[in-house]
Amino acid sequence: MDQPVVAVKTRHLQAAGLALWGLVLLRSSADGRLDLLLRGVFHPLVSIAGLLLLVWAVVLVLPLRGRWSQGAAAAVAETVTPRHWRTLAATALIALLLIALPPNPSFADLAQRRPGDDSGDAELAFVLPPAQRSLTDWVRLLRSQSDPRLYVGDPVRISGFVLPRSDGPPLLARLLVRCCLADATPIGLPVRWPGDQPLPKADQWLQINGEMAEQQGPQGEELVVIPQRIRPIPRPPRPLEP
Amino acid sequence: MLIKLNTAWALFQGLLIEALPFLLIGVLISALARWLAPGGRWLRRLPAHPLLGPLSGAALGFALPACECGNVPVARRMLVGGAPLGSALGFLFAAPVLNPIVIASTWAAFPDQPWLLLARPIGAVLVSLALCLLLRLIPEQQLLQADVLAERRLNQPLAAVTLLQRRSGLVGVSTATSTAQEPSPQPTPRPPLQEVLSHGGREFVQLALLLVAGCVLAALVQTLLPRQWLLNLGGSPTGSILALMALSLVISVCSSVDAFLALSFAAQVTPGALLAFLLLGPVIDLKLAGLLGLLLRPRGLLLASAGAGLSVLLISQWINLWLL
Repeated sequence: MDQPVVAVKTRHLQAAGLALWGLVLLRSSADGRLDLLLRGVFHPLVSIAGLLLLVWAVVLVLPLRGRWSQGAAAAVAETVTPRHWRTLAATALIALLLIALPPNPSFADLAQRRPGDDSGDAELAFVLPPAQRSLTDWVRLLRSQSDPRLYVGDPVRISGFVLPRSDGPPLLARLLVRCCLADATPIGLPVRWPGDQPLPKADQWLQINGEMAEQQGPQGEELVVIPQRIRPIPRPPRPLEP
Repeated sequence: MLIKLNTAWALFQGLLIEALPFLLIGVLISALARWLAPGGRWLRRLPAHPLLGPLSGAALGFALPACECGNVPVARRMLVGGAPLGSALGFLFAAPVLNPIVIASTWAAFPDQPWLLLARPIGAVLVSLALCLLLRLIPEQQLLQADVLAERRLNQPLAAVTLLQRRSGLVGVSTATSTAQEPSPQPTPRPPLQEVLSHGGREFVQLALLLVAGCVLAALVQTLLPRQWLLNLGGSPTGSILALMALSLVISVCSSVDAFLALSFAAQVTPGALLAFLLLGPVIDLKLAGLLGLLLRPRGLLLASAGAGLSVLLISQWINLWLL
């Protein structure tokens, strides 16, 4: 009686699962979504992991000989059960969703659910000329030297997203990330929005050129950006700040 | 609602893609250990003493610079290799904090708070000891998942398990007889590379699916629960500890970077609450729940979670009494 030919072996299914995860990581590295999800130092780790998974998958399906494959018969001969297929199907479904649906988070929605960053001036390395300071540089500078009068009249060229507040006009904000989007915390600067125009929409990215001024805030004197030019911009390729 | 779904989807991807490389590191170390030390004889030589066992397991953390996701496959390898339960669990619970990267990142985030640099590893060892002692109350067969237990039985000496428990061996030979006459164990031959890779591949694919479930849960809770609520609860010393414990469960960020995250709200909370955040997250969080479920049965998982919460609360209360 003829024995049934087992075309698919368990290690082939395992290789397919590994390859799918490898593709997810490599695809994420290639399409730029990591800039939206993770801090830059982790990007090479993701690419290397994706590559390793693909190599692992290839080695599993290669017909190795000699001492590398001796005794592997046990693993090879393991019966392919419906459970193996279910595992692969679930992996394939998740991988497909991850590849087909890139992330598109609302930074304003995320920031509104997070307390503001309060990490002080620990990361302030040096002070740039005013017009070269990013929004993050400004926030860190103001924390290290809280007398707002020192900066009145300084030119400002910053970009960020619009973050609505319940107790005042929207801020121009950025998200700080230590590891991934899950730990993002917002920082922002108050802006004196032009009175003759409607307030900008939440999550809209803006480039603002203007200067610093002083105003009375809820906790005393504070700096506010007086815009001279407000320009809508697309979300930058690397929107997260370290 | 669509905005929230988009945000949750992005959070899910962030958590998953950040965790997968660490999971891979853990599985590779586990596979390498299986290949280099087949049979895991060195694992069985780890102390089984109720205190020395967990301490030796915790000390192994210094050799594995990975976060908690990477530790799970290594702890599984220790368990199935026949390591004493205390050593394997001590490693599982303490190693995510007791490793060079986590200690260095804690120091980098809080250079002006040397007490934290000491309190975090010491606290992690104390929590690990407490959990190991607590989990000893449950018999192994009710604590470990069936497949882990079955593989573990095969690697334990006959002096420790019966043939019935092992489900293999010589029928009709009593345990006492077989132990007495058991020749000195032959070294287990090194398994072929393809078998090790196949075993590791299966482990990675299974763990990755459990990680997906944990990340979905963590992303949904993070999207639906405003984080400020938790911090607002933390006005009183005890309230701040409980709030930060809840926050560490929800955020599910890996232990190698959680100190930098804690830095962002350190000024708003008590010292004990800060320590609670740094101690509890590496032991248990929403992202880890699925992975730990691969090792422990629900009863063990619940007891470990409750024990971790209680011991972290007590340690953090003591810190608040000391520093406030």
